[in-house]
Amino acid sequence: MNNNKYLTVSAITQYLKSKFDSDEHLRTVFLKGEISNYKSHSSGHLYFSIKDETSKINAIMFSSSARNLTFNPSDGAKVLVVGRISIYEATGNYQIYVDEMIEDGVGNLYLAFEKLKEQLSKEGLFDDKYKKPIPKIPKRVGVITAPTGAAIKDILSTIKRRFPVCEVILFPSLVQGDGAKDDLVKNIKLADNYDLDLLIVGRGGGSIEDLWPFNEEIVARAIFNSKIPIISAVGHEVDYTIADFVSDLRAPTPTGAAEMAVPNIVDLIQYLDNLKIRFNEYMYRKINYNKLLLDTFKNSFILKNPMIMYDNKKQNLDLINERLNNLINNKLDKSRNNLERIIEKLELLNPLSVLKRGYSIIYKDDQVITKTSLIKQNDLLKIKLFKGDIDVVVKEVNNG
Amino acid sequence: MDKKLKFEDKIKILEKTIKELENDDINLDSSIEKYTEAMKLIKECDDELKNIEEKVSKIVTVDGTLENFELEK
Repeated sequence: MNNNKYLTVSAITQYLKSKFDSDEHLRTVFLKGEISNYKSHSSGHLYFSIKDETSKINAIMFSSSARNLTFNPSDGAKVLVVGRISIYEATGNYQIYVDEMIEDGVGNLYLAFEKLKEQLSKEGLFDDKYKKPIPKIPKRVGVITAPTGAAIKDILSTIKRRFPVCEVILFPSLVQGDGAKDDLVKNIKLADNYDLDLLIVGRGGGSIEDLWPFNEEIVARAIFNSKIPIISAVGHEVDYTIADFVSDLRAPTPTGAAEMAVPNIVDLIQYLDNLKIRFNEYMYRKINYNKLLLDTFKNSFILKNPMIMYDNKKQNLDLINERLNNLINNKLDKSRNNLERIIEKLELLNPLSVLKRGYSIIYKDDQVITKTSLIKQNDLLKIKLFKGDIDVVVKEVNNG
Repeated sequence: MDKKLKFEDKIKILEKTIKELENDDINLDSSIEKYTEAMKLIKECDDELKNIEEKVSKIVTVDGTLENFELEK
């Protein structure tokens, strides 16, 4: 038998699941009905069904989403849920994975909220690329809220406590009821003219109807178009409004907005002090390093013993000196020898040694006479012998 | 230094300068110069935080002018 045409249970389940998951109508489902079989698991996940008169669908809400619930669900409660529908493979059951759930009754508002949120989101009004950076150290902050009530009080006291050098300018505004949305829009536009670093737009907690002006499209667009960075601070932590999505930063509460808006002056002073310490430490290190470097140079062998540099030269000098002396001495010796030889030769030529052998020299007035023409009769002559001399008179000259 | 520099800009300059000093090999003369400049900026910031009196909150009135704003007790 050919088994190949038979599918496994996993295969068909996976196939069906992929069908569900690829259907965009099932990705975001708005569903209304009544809770039944409600069970809250210790993990924080919620398991229940949603039913009407004739049908029922299993539902699961994970703890991450359940954390944002603003009411305690129970069997029989009429609810509006948003989620996606898919198949749980282990049981093969299809079920809705609930992301958001509120009590029905405010249902129309909720649907309007979701519709506007989706529309603006598609338009890109919530995109991060449009979010203006929030200045870290604003000197002038605008606040658009009611001039009375907890919100302005919280904001002012928080700013005063954290950063008293910051100037706060209040744009008193209606924040609930008819006219609130127009008043908010007017003030958001007006604020552009007041040279503000930052704008806080918000109000204290209230019912969803109270907060509604912050879900209005014109308010959202005014926030989007503002030139000033805006922090939204609407209601309590759990309340999310369209204003929160479109603003540059969402604060959980008005107090939170003030904390995000201004730095703590104590932290700032501390930060400056730390910077100062870093600069000083840097400079200390730098100077110390250079000093060390200098010391190393100062302690270098050569600088510590400068005479070493001369020792070599001195030795060279001695050497040269010695060589010079030798040269001179040699030269002298040679000269002396020569001289001795010359003296010997001279000795041979000395006329006295001729006289020794019996010859004599005749002088006339210290002139040596070598021929008779130099003398005449009666001249006085001196005859020099080897030992002594004789004065004689010429008796007669015989020319030879 | 430019008197119109915002506080935040001064902090940025200081952060940039200390990074330069700590990361780059800068000769003693220019590091002393940078250090002196930084100390001047820090003092300016310090003065801005410590010496300026507390700002009074203002409220925008119907005709758009500003008045001092006091919370109702």
